[in-house]
Amino acid sequence: MNIVVCVKQVPDSTEVKINPETGHLIRAGVPSIINPYDHYALQAALELKAKHNFKVTLVSMGPPQAKSVVQMGMALGADEGILLSDMAFAGSDTWSTSYALAKAIKKIGKVDMILAGMQAIDGDTAQTGPGVAQQLGIPQITFCEQVEVDGRRVIARKQIDGGYEVLEARPPVLLTMIMTKDYTPRYPSFLAVSASLKKPFHVWSAADVGAEAHFLGLKGSPTQVSRIYPPPQREKAAMFSGSGQEGAGKILEIMRSEHFVE
Amino acid sequence: MASMDAISRNLMLDSLKEYAKRRIPYDLIRELDEKNEFPAEILKEMYQHDTLGLHLLMVPAEYGGVSGGTFDIYRVCEQLARIDLGIATGVFATFLGTDPLNVGGTEEQKEKWLKRIAGENLLVAYGATEADAGSDLVNLRTRAEHVVKNGKIVGYNVTGNKQWISNGGVADLYTILALAPGGPSWFLVERNMEGFSPNKHEDKHGIRLSNTAGLSLDNVYVPAENLIGMEEGKGLLQAQAVFGYTRVVVAAFGLGAGEEALEQAIRYSQQRIQGGGPLSEKQGYTHKLIVPNYVRMEGARSYIEYTSQRLDSGEHGLQTEGAIAKYGASEWGNKAADDAIQALGGYGYTKDFPVEKIKRDIKICCIYEGTSEVLEMTIYRGRWQEHLKSRGRYYLDMADRLDQVHATEPKAGAHAAALGLRALAAVLEECRVQKLTRHQHVTFKLGKLICAAETAAIFSTAAAAPKYSETVRFDREGWQAMARVFAREAALNTALEGLALVLGAAEQAGNLADAVNIEAVQAEQKGMIADMDLVAAKLKQTFKAK
Repeated sequence: MNIVVCVKQVPDSTEVKINPETGHLIRAGVPSIINPYDHYALQAALELKAKHNFKVTLVSMGPPQAKSVVQMGMALGADEGILLSDMAFAGSDTWSTSYALAKAIKKIGKVDMILAGMQAIDGDTAQTGPGVAQQLGIPQITFCEQVEVDGRRVIARKQIDGGYEVLEARPPVLLTMIMTKDYTPRYPSFLAVSASLKKPFHVWSAADVGAEAHFLGLKGSPTQVSRIYPPPQREKAAMFSGSGQEGAGKILEIMRSEHFVE
Repeated sequence: MASMDAISRNLMLDSLKEYAKRRIPYDLIRELDEKNEFPAEILKEMYQHDTLGLHLLMVPAEYGGVSGGTFDIYRVCEQLARIDLGIATGVFATFLGTDPLNVGGTEEQKEKWLKRIAGENLLVAYGATEADAGSDLVNLRTRAEHVVKNGKIVGYNVTGNKQWISNGGVADLYTILALAPGGPSWFLVERNMEGFSPNKHEDKHGIRLSNTAGLSLDNVYVPAENLIGMEEGKGLLQAQAVFGYTRVVVAAFGLGAGEEALEQAIRYSQQRIQGGGPLSEKQGYTHKLIVPNYVRMEGARSYIEYTSQRLDSGEHGLQTEGAIAKYGASEWGNKAADDAIQALGGYGYTKDFPVEKIKRDIKICCIYEGTSEVLEMTIYRGRWQEHLKSRGRYYLDMADRLDQVHATEPKAGAHAAALGLRALAAVLEECRVQKLTRHQHVTFKLGKLICAAETAAIFSTAAAAPKYSETVRFDREGWQAMARVFAREAALNTALEGLALVLGAAEQAGNLADAVNIEAVQAEQKGMIADMDLVAAKLKQTFKAK
């Protein structure tokens, strides 16, 4: 089987702040990381590769420095890496990105399984993975916590409210992965990083994948972001110590003084 | 070796950070520090090829390593120092111990030993220091006597004692400097050789996770093929050949530990409310304890990078540059860690907070690989020669180049840095005319002034460049403000301290106050508080409270 893993480079959201005046992200000094959900998806693919000797190809879209997440994946064991990098892609929303990624996957050729993180931590939309499946016209299973292959059957455990369900699909299929301890991400050794430089890595432009310009970038994106702003800061909560009973009494006192209860 | 590409380097750094996060939490470090215990398992694990393979960084690819350059090694060592300076020292000892082999080994020796170090994950120790031979290796007492068979030298009997050897009690392989009949020479000594024994692990003030022990060599038979370079008498040259690089590594330790202490203080200061607001908003706190220190550390960083890049581009030696890098980073880092304790107040004085340990640890940077005083002398000697050779033009020419930098980018502090260099040139010249360098104190003090003035020049040049190094975590506005603060302080100290130095030593006072252009240096201080405000704001923005 040929597996494609979609990976994205994102700013480490624990370090990001928004400038309240301009609405822009303050990126200075903020490290870029592999989207944590994609890291789990990559680990799932690498475990399938170890078990079944599948080929794993990574696809990412981003500026040239996004090569970092592709190289990291190759250092961890992926066989090949592709970065879609072109000014034409800049500003693409999830629809446009799905379109471009689908074009790249078509160009790769025979692909049996596509794994992607459930969502990226910078946008939290959870749309790109399903969008790729839609663009390719293949089935999708979202929120997967485990994936296995038995012959030509792909078996996925999908997380649902209060439990999970086991679904089966015939390839080609796209799965989006959640973060689960079954696929704890690893980090490459120095030697593996060095060796990854010898693996095939390609940078593809919009023209390389045959993507039409009017479906790309800001102009090709149906979503327009009008403003980004941090949620207004809430007043600091009052904290009480002591027994539960004492705490309840104090809360009741406040509710009475604020006329929530009589 | 040239440095590797930035992406590979940063992936390695990420792996190291993640490893430390998982395996070396502060609680464990604190426990080991208290017990004075070397974490052998962790070191071995860090060397495992499929975990990190940290030691492969300094082994060329043809011998199974990853061919790290000085810049790569500086980055990794900075990160190690942020984790724990004792562990960093243990790793560095392997790097240092391997250096004589890298520099002076024959092809056969490299093929055999570098491959073993890489493949068998050997811990290595560098055995140079003795009771009477520290930075001054001329008084070396350890002897290597010929063992002759059939008229041919087949080996050496090595006898002597080494002290304060990092990894001394735990290494698998030792490079030992001994006095052979042909002069000081390096020998490869294996732990299990008869007559070789490590002494007790020292009970140290800091870097307690690093094993430090003396070594006893009692008639240890070392085969002739273990003489590095297969030629006697090359030992001191081989040791000196890597001073530029090894001192950059220790500079990286001072930088990493110093900045780590400050960053912890910056995060703390945003949560600590005193007098109606967080400490991070109070100039009496930030402008005394945080800003000047952080600015100096960034100055040290720019000098470390400048030296690393020159070494990676193939320049050799750079002993003076290595000394400047190490002296600045160590002294400023030590001061930064001290102020970080002050910045955390009573908390900082307890072992619950890492700054207390960092302060104990970082002091070693002012001692090993050349004490600060030895470096003051080294810096002075190197640059005094340049001053004489150029007939006083060395720093004036550098100042002229900074004028050009200032003309293209006036916000990077290049003007202040140029003033500092011209003041330095005037002080040096006055010392020459009045023969003041007969006073040792003058020469050492000149070393200190040179370090700051030259670092200011390099920092301003870097801050004026169109593109910044991957290590700069601030925007252009913030980093240039830092360069301006550094350059102003350096110019003021050079002029005032240089003037005081000359006046204190000279028999007649000349017009040095005019020559150092004290008025212009003072006028240049305009805007200092506003810049410090800006730096304080940028630091808070970059190192947010957790």
